[in-house]
Amino acid sequence: MSVESDSVDLVGDEIVERVARAAVFAALAGAFAYVSFPNPVSPAPVTLQVLGVFLAGIYLGPVWGGLSLALYLAAGAVGAPVFAGGSAGLGALLGPYGGYLWSYPVAAALVGLVAHGTSSLAKPRDVSVPRLIAAMLAGTVVVYAGGTLGYAVVQNVGLYRAFLVAAVAFVPAEAFKIAAAVGITRTEDLGAA
Amino acid sequence: MTLAYRPGSGVLHALDPRAKLALQAAFALVAFAHTTPLGLALLTPLAVVAPYLADASPLAALREFWVALPFLVAGPVVAAVSLGPPWIRLEAAAAAALASYRVVLVLLVAAAYVYSTPTRDSRAAVRWLLPGRIGAVAGVAVALVFRFLPVLQSDLAGRRDAVNARLGSERPLRERIRLVAVGGLARALDRASRLSVALRARCFAWNPTPPPLAYRGRDWLATGVALALAAAALI
Repeated sequence: MSVESDSVDLVGDEIVERVARAAVFAALAGAFAYVSFPNPVSPAPVTLQVLGVFLAGIYLGPVWGGLSLALYLAAGAVGAPVFAGGSAGLGALLGPYGGYLWSYPVAAALVGLVAHGTSSLAKPRDVSVPRLIAAMLAGTVVVYAGGTLGYAVVQNVGLYRAFLVAAVAFVPAEAFKIAAAVGITRTEDLGAA
Repeated sequence: MTLAYRPGSGVLHALDPRAKLALQAAFALVAFAHTTPLGLALLTPLAVVAPYLADASPLAALREFWVALPFLVAGPVVAAVSLGPPWIRLEAAAAAALASYRVVLVLLVAAAYVYSTPTRDSRAAVRWLLPGRIGAVAGVAVALVFRFLPVLQSDLAGRRDAVNARLGSERPLRERIRLVAVGGLARALDRASRLSVALRARCFAWNPTPPPLAYRGRDWLATGVALALAAAALI
């Protein structure tokens, strides 16, 4: 049994703020996984998980947005029911649509990067609409590339077939999420954010 | 019933979380390395026994993953169909079916881990796995995700009820998503700023006192099994 005798090393104020936001956004992405709407153009219902990825990139920026979704994966891996349908554990990460999950941190970082660049974070409201849309389209491409690749590897089928089974039914819904996310950044009741 | 820790006195409950993570990872490694009828036949008893060792039945564990089942069935079907002669490709279907079956085995073992491991143990394992400052912060942040998930879920559910009560369900999909998500996001931002004040008020530090994790004889045994499985993956 060892005894630590270091003095308390406080976390800086700015980092505390960012860690808190990253953790809450990771939980928000998890909570979004439980919200689903019937989809007018496809039989697969729309869940809002990917919206959580977009919002993390837009509101937290490339670094902390990516970290936030990495946290989401870590929490899911150790048992928080944050993945689609309330599943959790390493099984979901290694399962047929684990590829989607692995792509989320990369997608969030890319959304943040395209929306904000490498300099300081702009207010989401001040980022131009074309830039927001470009950022989320790039994020969507990463998510579906990851999802398709994951399904192809885990299920041992070709990429084209994997895309047909695991992605096509979900793609149309992304347009609604991108439109909704643009609307969200322009909404008045979000006050200072 | 969602997949979550269930208190019990199974063999797996008594193991150190790190040993269980090693077992789980090694099992997945072998399953992916030996996706052959023989390999999977040898692994099946292990996967079926795993939930019993966690005081649960394999059927209950399978039921946790029903959302994944359509995808597992669709894999072989899609691989089999081809858009020209010979129309049905049995070899591709067999390979995809093996892959689907492998996923079922991995999911069973993963469920046994979740059943038998309280989340604070997993968190301590995360801290041990990622040393230094990253581990300390990741451990706390993972705990915060657990804490805030039900809170934000109920925020969103309440927001959704409110939107529906105001005939939001008659609106186009884009508007419905926006209205529900704006509510959830506003609450989340608000909660994050209060959380950061609360963390600072409680001296959020890089070096808090960790809960003790101790490796005992049976944990070394389990680690040995994990290593053997991992070695089998390389054969």
